[in-house]
Amino acid sequence: MASARMGEMVVSSDPNEELVALGLGSCIGLAIVDRTAGVAGLAHIVLPESNDRGEQLGKYADTAIPELITRLRQAGAVERRFETAIAGGARMFEMSGGLDIGARNEAAVRSALAAAHLTVRAAKTGGTTGRTLKVTLSDLTVTVRSAGEQPETLLQGRAPRFTPAAGAAR
Amino acid sequence: MTHDQSQEKTRVSPSLSETQLDALRELANIASGTAATALSQMLAREVQISVPRALALAPADAVDECGDPEQHVAGVVVPIQGDIDGIVLLLIPYEQAEILCALLGVEAHTEVGDSALREIGNILATSYLNGLGAMTSMELEPSPPQLHTDMLAAIVSSLLIGTAEGDDLALVLDSELDVSGDPCSISFLLLPTSGQINDLLAPLGLAEPSA
Repeated sequence: MASARMGEMVVSSDPNEELVALGLGSCIGLAIVDRTAGVAGLAHIVLPESNDRGEQLGKYADTAIPELITRLRQAGAVERRFETAIAGGARMFEMSGGLDIGARNEAAVRSALAAAHLTVRAAKTGGTTGRTLKVTLSDLTVTVRSAGEQPETLLQGRAPRFTPAAGAAR
Repeated sequence: MTHDQSQEKTRVSPSLSETQLDALRELANIASGTAATALSQMLAREVQISVPRALALAPADAVDECGDPEQHVAGVVVPIQGDIDGIVLLLIPYEQAEILCALLGVEAHTEVGDSALREIGNILATSYLNGLGAMTSMELEPSPPQLHTDMLAAIVSSLLIGTAEGDDLALVLDSELDVSGDPCSISFLLLPTSGQINDLLAPLGLAEPSA
């Protein structure tokens, strides 16, 4: 299991691998998969904007998304086959000042994805609960889970190569 | 094959010296002693305190140090204001929150149970801040507590984003309060806002010369 912690990203083409972002609160977990290539990437984004602080690309929405796309390409994925899912962006606490980092994170991730011509296929965002986002490489399923609850499927699994591209869920 | 290049980058070395971390640990030790006394009086039980830790780490590492990221915990958050800003955080494993409520004679996961946990947070944070204030002559005021039951990492990471203010370094002072006779322990954390660590060190004569 490869874990993307705060500000980190992981990319894999190993069918036995699982990618996880554990306990997302106001952070956003971004999963991108290419079924045909059998490649997936997961970023754990912390803040909306880097403001040119270049030290950790995975931490900010505006720098994490181009970097994740580059790494997916290097692993053999092709952009037009990308399927994208996001989770997180919760408002965990009512803080004085009322700065809703979760909502700002989600807006920044969506706009950075749009800038890269990617649409969000599935999302579980906002609200007040923490979530874990998981990508299973064997069939490229993407699931999300809240504390004390059952996982919910965001992107339905389908093993690469064995099903035609237009096929329904198995 | 997993490409995991970013793992390396987050392991920044602490920018605080060992002497400074020792001083912060000692502050936490005395302050959590005050909090343990308050908890002991409230529960009429003996309360043991672990040796506190003072951690200055990348936020991702700081979250890992707090425990299993997916552990279901009750988190009581007490924002503090005054000479320094920050957050006092109590983390109680979900099942142990039930034991704690039972010791107080209320039912857990009810309005009364939740209110009791917030009150514990309030009393512990106030005594901790009194202890801290006595040593540093700082004025520190707790705000009303908030209770949130969720995954540990979701709680801690969301709070650290606020206190680390986008910095690469999060400061965590933590200690463990164990209620004897029951499997019941409370992790007690102080998360000072990162720009103000110097203000915490200044009264001890250990502040960094201003850059």
